[in-house]
Amino acid sequence: MADAPQQLSFPPGTELVFGPQAARRTRIESELARVIHGWGFDDIILPGFDAPETFESLGSDAGLYRLVDREGHNLVLRADFTQIASKALAMELRRGKRQIRATYEGRVYRFQPSGHGHRVEQSQRGLEWVNAQGPVFDAACILIARECLHAVGIDNAVIVVGHAGFVNAVLGERGRTDRRLHEALDHKNPSRIAELAQRLGLDAESARLLETLPLLTGGAEVLRQAAGFKLAAPARDALADLEAIHELLAQCGVNDVLFDLGEVRQFHYYSGAMFKVYSSAVGDELGGGGRYDRLYDRFGLDVPAVGFGFNMARLTEAAPRDFGGQIQPTSIAANSAGALAQALALRAQGKPLVVGGKP
Amino acid sequence: MTLRVALPTGRMLKQAEPFLRQAGYAPAEVLADTRKLTVPSQCGRVEYLLVKPVDAPLYVEQGVADCGISGKDTLMELSPDLLEPLDLGFGRCRLVVAGKPEVERKGDNVLSPVRVASKYPRVAQHYFRKKGVPATVFKLSGSVEIGAVLGLSHYIVDIVETGTTLRENGLVVIEEISVCSARLVVNRAAYYAKLAEVRGLIDSMSAVVGEGA
Repeated sequence: MADAPQQLSFPPGTELVFGPQAARRTRIESELARVIHGWGFDDIILPGFDAPETFESLGSDAGLYRLVDREGHNLVLRADFTQIASKALAMELRRGKRQIRATYEGRVYRFQPSGHGHRVEQSQRGLEWVNAQGPVFDAACILIARECLHAVGIDNAVIVVGHAGFVNAVLGERGRTDRRLHEALDHKNPSRIAELAQRLGLDAESARLLETLPLLTGGAEVLRQAAGFKLAAPARDALADLEAIHELLAQCGVNDVLFDLGEVRQFHYYSGAMFKVYSSAVGDELGGGGRYDRLYDRFGLDVPAVGFGFNMARLTEAAPRDFGGQIQPTSIAANSAGALAQALALRAQGKPLVVGGKP
Repeated sequence: MTLRVALPTGRMLKQAEPFLRQAGYAPAEVLADTRKLTVPSQCGRVEYLLVKPVDAPLYVEQGVADCGISGKDTLMELSPDLLEPLDLGFGRCRLVVAGKPEVERKGDNVLSPVRVASKYPRVAQHYFRKKGVPATVFKLSGSVEIGAVLGLSHYIVDIVETGTTLRENGLVVIEEISVCSARLVVNRAAYYAKLAEVRGLIDSMSAVVGEGA
């Protein structure tokens, strides 16, 4: 009996790109790097795996890829850049407190339930801004993200700004830990929110605000709309934060940012303003980021920080098809006399060429 | 910007059609009669996509459609990642556990898995796990009642409108899992990128739901 054919497949969720698509992606990646370097960020190359503790605050359902090395140590494949970067940058900060601007690129690995088309392997380019106190840094992140989008030809993207502190304050002690309520808010389902608020025994004012949350999406007017409710101090502070970011952006002529006060989908470490990038060309977010002022606490450091990242596959999908068109290379037959000398001469002029390939 | 709206064909479409007309988004032709897969609305603000009920959430989740109408039962089974801003009120039914009356009287033997037949295997599995009852779930595509009648399964998990089919087959409702109705679902990216259009649709539909209440 003949041998079975070799398995020519990779596990679902892995990422494989080749040819013109890969060229386009590489162009887009280098554009992002150019913009982010232009804002004074230095490259950081980070470990691909680490001890499980590094990724603990992603939450219990983060879907980590766990492995055991030959000595029996538990390890986790890099599941998130911000957390592993915070450890690396904490090492830096121990040598002296200063502002750090770092940009990374590479893959993260997170288990994804099948059937939703999400990738396990996700390529990202992003940045970390450490010792970044005040809304000017939140606004700056949004401006950098906008410049990245424009640099790759995406002009129909929408940036949506929310605030971790606002939702948490509104949910209160009782609502914060309720998974079903969280889910209902995440799905912007007012009837379900009303039902759960009643079941949890929340007071009428809190319930009314929770039911309104899904509608508090839009321009800066939603901030004023929210201010009309009776709010706890942390929620007021959050609105003031967002109002300040709006002011700063407006001063730069940026008025197309949306606010979404009902945004609850976030990593546990977010503590302040956060944003996501959407395009109607792609059904899912292109990237996002925000503020995490308490992330460095676990290293005994009190440093405010912000950051964001782009999902490279989705960004490439959203970019115009003709972005990064290639120059046609000169074709040189491999068997012609002096083929290599001709190739060298062309290369000396920096011209692209193909040896032995069909034109 | 035009909104693309996925509509489930079949039973629910008959109720969705007058609802859309009332909301001011009347289709340009009678959806129940057409063999086309896409039909614009008379107002031109919307393009309808006619798809199998069980596929509607996927089209919306993946952003092929911006919005869609889907039964809560389908959403519970698929748990797609999308927004669900409005209960449209029509297409009301109950998602229940049913079986022969004697199964109910015997009670559950907790040591051996019960057999369950359903078009909603994930909902069924979840229900019995929550009860702490080990269950073997068979996925069927239709005529689920026969599973319990002929002994393929002890129980079925299915939607019930009037209960006639159950009664005629000698089955009884053992427990209600959820009341289901048609929902408006919205793709996350489309919600933000086409906020004004989506809001317009939600508000118009919401007004019709309000009138019916």
